[in-house]
Amino acid sequence: MTDEPMLEARSLKKEYDEGRIQALRGVDLQVARGEFLTISGPSGSGKSTLLQLLGGLDEPSSGEVFYRGRSLAGPFDLDTYRSRHVGFVFQAFHLLPALRVLDNVQIPMLEGLSSARDRRQKAEALLEEVGMTHRLRQYPNQLSAGERQRVAIARSLANDPEILLADEPTGNLDSENSARIMALLCGIQAQRSMTIVVVTHEAEVARMGHRNIHLKDGRVVVG
Amino acid sequence: MALLRIALINIARRRLRTSLTVCGIAVGIAAFVALVGFSKSFEREWLKLYESEGTDLAVVQKTFLNTTVDERVGDRIRSIAAVADASPIVLNLMDLTPEVNALVYGLRADSYEMAPLHFLEGRKFRGEEAEVILGEILAGNLGKKAGDTMEIQGASFRVVGVFRGGSALETGAVMMPIGQLQNLADLHGKVTAFHVRLRPAPAGRTAEEHIRQARAAIEEAIPGLKAVPAGERAHNNQFVSFARSIAWGTSLIALLVGALGIANTMAMAVFERTREIGILRALGWRRWRVILLIQLEAATLGSIGGIVGLVGGWGALRLLASLPMTANIADASISLPHAGKALVIAVLIGLAAGALPAWRGARLSPVEALRHD
Repeated sequence: MTDEPMLEARSLKKEYDEGRIQALRGVDLQVARGEFLTISGPSGSGKSTLLQLLGGLDEPSSGEVFYRGRSLAGPFDLDTYRSRHVGFVFQAFHLLPALRVLDNVQIPMLEGLSSARDRRQKAEALLEEVGMTHRLRQYPNQLSAGERQRVAIARSLANDPEILLADEPTGNLDSENSARIMALLCGIQAQRSMTIVVVTHEAEVARMGHRNIHLKDGRVVVG
Repeated sequence: MALLRIALINIARRRLRTSLTVCGIAVGIAAFVALVGFSKSFEREWLKLYESEGTDLAVVQKTFLNTTVDERVGDRIRSIAAVADASPIVLNLMDLTPEVNALVYGLRADSYEMAPLHFLEGRKFRGEEAEVILGEILAGNLGKKAGDTMEIQGASFRVVGVFRGGSALETGAVMMPIGQLQNLADLHGKVTAFHVRLRPAPAGRTAEEHIRQARAAIEEAIPGLKAVPAGERAHNNQFVSFARSIAWGTSLIALLVGALGIANTMAMAVFERTREIGILRALGWRRWRVILLIQLEAATLGSIGGIVGLVGGWGALRLLASLPMTANIADASISLPHAGKALVIAVLIGLAAGALPAWRGARLSPVEALRHD
């Protein structure tokens, strides 16, 4: 079953406020293993909502998401899915302000690695991979926006996920840092053969994936 | 990086709130340590009193804590084969001066309970004369010595001796002829209890069997009364029961206030850190791990409060042990089981107070929590 999609969305709908807001109006999507997919669209098009549903952060109003052919609905363990199979990168970085860089990267590992020494060594290796070895002991507020996003990327790789989901990863960055972060993501994808889905409203970023789909008003219009 | 470290970091983030919360629980634990410790000292002194006198049983009313027994049943108790002696006693608590109150014992001059007293000056009281003897601590507190007179309940008594007893309840007490105390307390023909000394157990019978049989014989001979082993009486007499009730009642109120402090702190912490909890859930933390983190924080607050409270309670006990009114009873040391109990209570309070905030935190939807400002 090598051609089975890594992620699949079938007739995905998401409504808020008792149906008055329809964020997604029936999205069908397949993401192949090792694919770098970008999802673009204007603000309010439903792209972040789609990413949240693909990542098991939220549940659809109707339709289903499948991970390697298994539905995320029903008895599926979403905690395990998020901790072992998916890594998240957020626009606002979402690092824990009270923890140092090295500790932030270890947070997801508490669900995976039991040895404190292993966790620390792995966090150091990941931070080296994203070029942050010189900032291990700093707190997030002592880092630049680009550095924070690199730490967040290192954290997203903590449990060696097969999928990386990034929600506007360059949304809070200047163009130079945006280019660096996208280069980093492309490098990680190539090196690890990861499945990466990046949501963006920037056309330049959208073009960097293997494939791009465009959302408008909760529907896929190009892709 | 372990979970405990994250919990400690979170606690250290808001030092003022943490300090106030710790103070709240520390006051509760200090009250528990001091008050319950004091009541335990009180109980211990009662046990020492019975042991030093050689009392095996106390004959009291079956149901009342504050018992009164007909003085005439003494002969029936003494007629039981296993009983060597039965001494009537009247016990009361009196304000001797506005500052000094003391236990007052009414005893017969020939009571076996007088025998262990060591007289530092003077002698025992005689018959039913208006005479009293004072424990050395009480004599010191009152500034009295043998030969002086003192007034009790409007009646004048001559201090005929100062003694040292086997228990602080004696060295801080006043003793007088039982008839005199019955008059003062308007208890004519009534006594608080009979203290019974048993004959040695016959050959082939264990001490426990001997005491059990003697109790049964007394209770059969005098319906309506019960014969209580000295240790049990030390634990359950009206003074100890009252002191224990006050100690626990006051401590529980203080502990409840401390628990509300922790619950409030943890509820605020969960509210303020809603987004952080969302991040943790998005990164794959299971609900139970979020609960564990919040409960670790609550239990740590409880533990720190417990340790601070132990130190405070020990200080309070030291103070009680140095005050003239309580020096004869209070023991400034804290037993290991009592300290352990205080710490366990502190941690349990932390866990109980943190349970609801932890449960609420763990139930947050990751995506809703991430949107939280």
